[in-house]
Amino acid sequence: MNDGEAFAKDAREAKEAARAADLLVTVATSLNERLGVTALELERSQDLLREASEELLTAFRGAADRIVDAQRVAASGSEGGADYGVVLEHLYRAVHHLQSHDLVNQLIDAQKLRVDKMREKLSEALSLAVPPVAAPGHAEEWIGRSRAMLDCIVAGIAQIDAEAKAPRGGSLGAGSVDLF
Amino acid sequence: MKTVLAVDDSATMREMVAFVLESAGYRVIEAEDGAKGLERARATPVDLVITDQNMPNMDGLTLVRSLRELREYKAVPILLLTTESSDGMKSQGRAAGATGWLVKPFDPATLLEIVRKVLR
Repeated sequence: MNDGEAFAKDAREAKEAARAADLLVTVATSLNERLGVTALELERSQDLLREASEELLTAFRGAADRIVDAQRVAASGSEGGADYGVVLEHLYRAVHHLQSHDLVNQLIDAQKLRVDKMREKLSEALSLAVPPVAAPGHAEEWIGRSRAMLDCIVAGIAQIDAEAKAPRGGSLGAGSVDLF
Repeated sequence: MKTVLAVDDSATMREMVAFVLESAGYRVIEAEDGAKGLERARATPVDLVITDQNMPNMDGLTLVRSLRELREYKAVPILLLTTESSDGMKSQGRAAGATGWLVKPFDPATLLEIVRKVLR
């Protein structure tokens, strides 16, 4: 291959490497925008859940406080204590479901955290693509930039997985008891 | 009247545990994390500790180990009440000195049965 051919080859490779780097920037930008939408939807879901839970808890507390007081009256042997057994059963069922609300809220919190972290990492990766490439005619420059962006994203994913604090355990074990 | 210490970073969970136990005649004191749980346990002797596992400041297993180092808590029943259900975690609970492991969401009748059992 003569010098002219080698130069043309380098130029073609640099052009392809630049296109690949641009594509990576486009994908990361698009992903970041969609994660932004996801973050807003998670926020909205959590607000709706919180509102519903608060309404339920207010109603629950109204009945629960009365029941506990009534149980104390019954335990003290005072006359006039009614049988609240059936009401208590209903409240116990509510306890079970209110826990589920709480667990869903925790799950949403964990997902919000993951989404925020991922957006932070994508923004960091995108910032690596801002400075102009020192030697745009050399494919290695573009390849190095793409690699740095990918390394940043991969490191971010590993960090997010390591820090994941979502409530663990599936529904299979729910309610189970082990006495040691 | 027996006293139970309920430790959980979720106010809702603490409220649920407190309601179920108070409706059955127990007195309940609360703490929002393991560190505060240890502080309250030292300040107010209790008959039973029910603690979550994943909490800020001090997790449940660390709380269990810390309580077992205290003379007055060597024999007090300590239950983990958590979303964690893996055998590995349960083994850690047993090794730390926990009395039992309950997986959330708990059934109130089951919780009361276990509490009565461990307090006998």
